[in-house]
Amino acid sequence: MRSQAREPIDPANVEWTRVSDKLIMLRIIGWLIGFLIALAIFSIPLVLKLLGFWSELPAFIAWGLPAVVLIIGIWRLLLIPRQVRAIGYAERHEDLLIRQGLFFQRVMVVPYGRMQYVDISVGPIERAVGLASLKLHTASPTTNATLVGLPAAEAARLREQLSSLGEAKLAGL
Amino acid sequence: MTEVPVKEYTDPDAGDRWHRVHPVSPMVKGWIGIIAVIVIFGRGLFEDLLVDGRTPRIGPEGEFLPLWVLVVLVVVIALLFALSFFLSWYFTRYQVTNDHVRINSGVIFRQHRQARLDRVQAIDVVQPLLARLFSLAELKFEVADSGSSAVRLSYLKLSEAQLLRATILARAAGVKQDPEHPDEVAEAPEQSVLELPPRRIIGATLLSGTTIFVLVAVVALAVVALVLDEPLPLGAVLAGAVPFLFAMAAAYWATFSNSFNFRAAISPDGIRLRYGLLETRAQTVPPGRVQAVGIVQSPLWRFAGWYKMQVNVAGYGVDTQASGARTTLLPAGTSNEVMQMLALVLPDPGVDEPFEVFGAAISGQDQDCGFITTPRRGRILSLLSWRRNGFLATRTALICRSGWMWKQAQVVPHERTQSLALHQGPLTRRLGLADVVLHSTPGPVSAKIWHADLDTARRLFDEQAERAASARLISPPEHWLEQVDRGEEADHGKP
Repeated sequence: MRSQAREPIDPANVEWTRVSDKLIMLRIIGWLIGFLIALAIFSIPLVLKLLGFWSELPAFIAWGLPAVVLIIGIWRLLLIPRQVRAIGYAERHEDLLIRQGLFFQRVMVVPYGRMQYVDISVGPIERAVGLASLKLHTASPTTNATLVGLPAAEAARLREQLSSLGEAKLAGL
Repeated sequence: MTEVPVKEYTDPDAGDRWHRVHPVSPMVKGWIGIIAVIVIFGRGLFEDLLVDGRTPRIGPEGEFLPLWVLVVLVVVIALLFALSFFLSWYFTRYQVTNDHVRINSGVIFRQHRQARLDRVQAIDVVQPLLARLFSLAELKFEVADSGSSAVRLSYLKLSEAQLLRATILARAAGVKQDPEHPDEVAEAPEQSVLELPPRRIIGATLLSGTTIFVLVAVVALAVVALVLDEPLPLGAVLAGAVPFLFAMAAAYWATFSNSFNFRAAISPDGIRLRYGLLETRAQTVPPGRVQAVGIVQSPLWRFAGWYKMQVNVAGYGVDTQASGARTTLLPAGTSNEVMQMLALVLPDPGVDEPFEVFGAAISGQDQDCGFITTPRRGRILSLLSWRRNGFLATRTALICRSGWMWKQAQVVPHERTQSLALHQGPLTRRLGLADVVLHSTPGPVSAKIWHADLDTARRLFDEQAERAASARLISPPEHWLEQVDRGEEADHGKP
């Protein structure tokens, strides 16, 4: 996986590893489900108006609600590929770097010695396309270090790597 | 939590006896149940008996219940209570060995629990009001699990609880026992650091955030009255005000009673805090267990020059009971007292003139003492506080400063930094700024550097990761009084 465009908040001399592009597919499926449900709910007033049950409803509200949902939905759809490409991680000598976000960007550093345990979780759709999510836990709940969309083999490798590094460098609390 | 070698299970430190808690304790714990039963069932019964001289009927028009049935019933209920109390007492046993504290409890669903002594984060000795009457105390042993206490021994005799605390701390500290008298443990000598006079607690309570809330509410009411231009219906206002007043009184009371008679002391076993009006609590936090310190000054306290200090301790987590009294290091102190407490938590401040630096942290602004603040272009994002937002890295800790109305400062020792994050949103990106967030264990203190210059933030991010890594290597051992070589300690710390 190639590295991505540098952002201003990236630390110097870091080669980011990107997560799998299959995650884009996965996110689009998730988006589609959410979008259809939202569209259905916000179209109810329009349907009622067209069927004549709620004729006093102004037309701009009836048409406006689904239109807004449509615009937001398409906007979010267009963002998905770039959001997925913004997720990256880098294994450094002492710590793991994780970055994410497009508008609200975040770069996080988790020292190996601070990792308490590493979780891998695989959902049904993720399993079908061979992806897995990895979550690092430190003693701090605000360390919300989740890497989604890793290829299953890479996730397993990373877990082994992180666990052994964590054990070697384990510090107290 | 931690795996223990198998041999420890087959040979659970033979020779260490199992103990039971004080026999009265189930009653001290269950008194509310007894009172409830008496009030609910007893009241009508007594009224009938004393006023009318009758026992209750069976059914609406039935016969009067014979007196002896009533007596038998009361005796049976009392026996049931006594039996359940006896069983819960009989089946609760505890043991303190050289490495572990174990507690077995439960009658039907048995629970066996053990916690490693060297993982102790804090020990509290708590005396609720009723326990104080019996001179009993509850011992709480906290490990790094922010939920409930790992081990709660309730109740022991106060002297026993204190002895047990001394024993646990001595063993956790790695003090070698006297082979001649293995049972004799001397309580570590302590040195009083400060006491808060009642005047201060009353003043701090009256000037607390609750008062600001009350003032805002009164002003809002006055504005409404002015806008309506007619006198508000007094009845409605009073009806609305009564629950509000109760809530306010409860808030004032909680603040007052929980910080009353606050005393702090230092001993080789760590920081000792004692406080409480009705329920008294004595906390011991061993050295190196404080993960982060926060200092806050609410607007009204500015006139008095008081500050409140809070800590993150892994075993305490976010304390929601008793207005966060457990995580309070200093309920209301002058800047001098803040310095004294900081010296306990952070024995090596890592700067040459600590008073000036920490003074600048809690009340200064701009670049005095080397603080790096939000650049001028960032003032649009924090109109009032941009001159205060800033940080300073000493050799041992990172100091974050923010807030103008609510002046805040957080101190995080380098070796306690869990992880770091750099945040940038659309606005901060346009202005070339970024936020740096330090992650600490659960607690009231969260350290964040607002709107720092982007390059500065990136440099801090890199340097801080490095500083934290090197500080971890030289951090003192968990057995704080024992000089162990690092190899053995590393073995010991493996999960």
